Amino acid sequence: MMGTSLFHGEPNGPSLTVLAACYEVGAEAEMIAIDLAAGERHAVPPRRREVEMSIEGEGPVLVVEGEPMADSVFLAQYLDEAHGGSLQPAEPYARWEMEMWCRFVIERVAPAASLLGARAHLTPKLQAMDDVAFEQLVAAIGSADLAERWRTIREGAFPEAQIEDSRGKIRLAVERLENRIDGDWILGDFTIADLETYAWLAGMVALVPEAFENAPRTRAWLDRMAGRESIRRAVAQSRTGDPLSAWAPGPEINRWG
Amino acid sequence: MSDEVTLFHWEPNANSGKPMLALAEKGVPFESRYVDMLNFDQHKPDYLAINPQGTIPAMLHGGRVLTESTAIMEYVDAAFDGPALMPPDPKDRWRVRWWMKFMDQWLAPSFSMIGWSIFVGPAVRRRDPQELEAAIERIPLPERRTAWRKAIYNQFSEAELAESQRRVAIGIGLLEEALSKRAWLACDRYTLADVNGFNLAYALPLSQPHLSNEEKTPHILEWLRRIYERPATRQTWALGRTEMVKRVKILEREPQ
Ligand SMILES: N[C@@H](CCC(=O)N[C@@H](CS)C(=O)NCC(=O)O)C(=O)O
Repeated sequence: MMGTSLFHGEPNGPSLTVLAACYEVGAEAEMIAIDLAAGERHAVPPRRREVEMSIEGEGPVLVVEGEPMADSVFLAQYLDEAHGGSLQPAEPYARWEMEMWCRFVIERVAPAASLLGARAHLTPKLQAMDDVAFEQLVAAIGSADLAERWRTIREGAFPEAQIEDSRGKIRLAVERLENRIDGDWILGDFTIADLETYAWLAGMVALVPEAFENAPRTRAWLDRMAGRESIRRAVAQSRTGDPLSAWAPGPEINRWG
Repeated sequence: MSDEVTLFHWEPNANSGKPMLALAEKGVPFESRYVDMLNFDQHKPDYLAINPQGTIPAMLHGGRVLTESTAIMEYVDAAFDGPALMPPDPKDRWRVRWWMKFMDQWLAPSFSMIGWSIFVGPAVRRRDPQELEAAIERIPLPERRTAWRKAIYNQFSEAELAESQRRVAIGIGLLEEALSKRAWLACDRYTLADVNGFNLAYALPLSQPHLSNEEKTPHILEWLRRIYERPATRQTWALGRTEMVKRVKILEREPQ
């Protein structure tokens, strides 16, 4: 049970954040690839409430000395703190800014991106599954609202207003990025905010291209991110060769202000 | 630049109570600026100049404005001397963050929806209809406008209230389970997760008596009582101005 293992999906979304964070801080972890889009998070890694009820939905699971942990930003913070990394500003106000940025990504951008990504890439896969296999997959899910998100994605009948709202969130994220990028990175120094933002936006370039049209600073930042050693190593973990098309149900769209 | 702290807050409860209690635990004096949420003070120009989102709480420190109750608490813990409210062990820190997120994004919104439907809505509904419409129109965040509209006109659907109640029941179960394993919510010491959790749950035995009581949730009750006994909690709840704060009295222990 000792040591550290990372059960990760394709390097996209939350799995990309955590894989890259491992490489950034030089964490020695056994990397175990699982297919999040096939529901393997509910079958392969050890189970634990905090994983079952993670607000992130289908994300990677980091097991440290037998304790399964979830939620990509917090896993990145854990890795940074356990390995003496420098992915978080030390000064309290700068730290607050990083947390506020990550919160914006977690609460507004990630639900939008995962809706758009799942609609484009996961809906067809789930529709191709037979009912028995799909019901088996969903039956293993401990959280009823996450199970419901799987069903919604399989149905694929997303209201137009919700799709437009999600596209709007991606445009807003890029607008904010465009105003915020400070030198090479979002907050000046390279932080977890860069990892988490890139992890959710990289796949949006193909799905919401208009958001990136007049955003030269964001595009240059995306290129810098793609070229960063930790991201390259994370992307090299892909088994499909097309990680930006890999989506699993993510966090829910805020149901209360 | 001023090193003084000013906190804009409503009653010690939910999001306002989090930074209030964290500041009290750290022993940081602050200028208290009461924002009467039921009077829509948070949407008035004076306050919007501080926080254009029109939500409470907000804090001023060193000439800067900080918002988001949980992020403010983490800032307070890092920026001031006084007892540490984040544990030193990285895994314990992960657990503090996990619980705060779970509460902030999953459990508290469900509590809020129920609270707004039975308390906030009725508290303001009787006012002049035109005044209320104008008040709603002044709300900057569209999501908050929707929430106020539903509360005022009693428009929460049965399905969404039932979903909130389902989540509250599950959340109570998770809290009880965690607190039966450890003395405090995230680890073996008092942390921001407990400060956060107390603000969410202190009135549980009153608002959800069938789900939270001596038989079903002894660990939650004991945890709430232990937090209520802390001097910082007494000091914070004394800053309340409405009947609401009196609910905390259910946590008084029976005289032996
Ligand atoms: N996520 C924010 C939420 C702040 C928030 O919505 N606060 C409520 C009071 S608990 C509020 O300001 N409501 C007033 C309104 O919606 O008009 C935080 O934690 O600070």
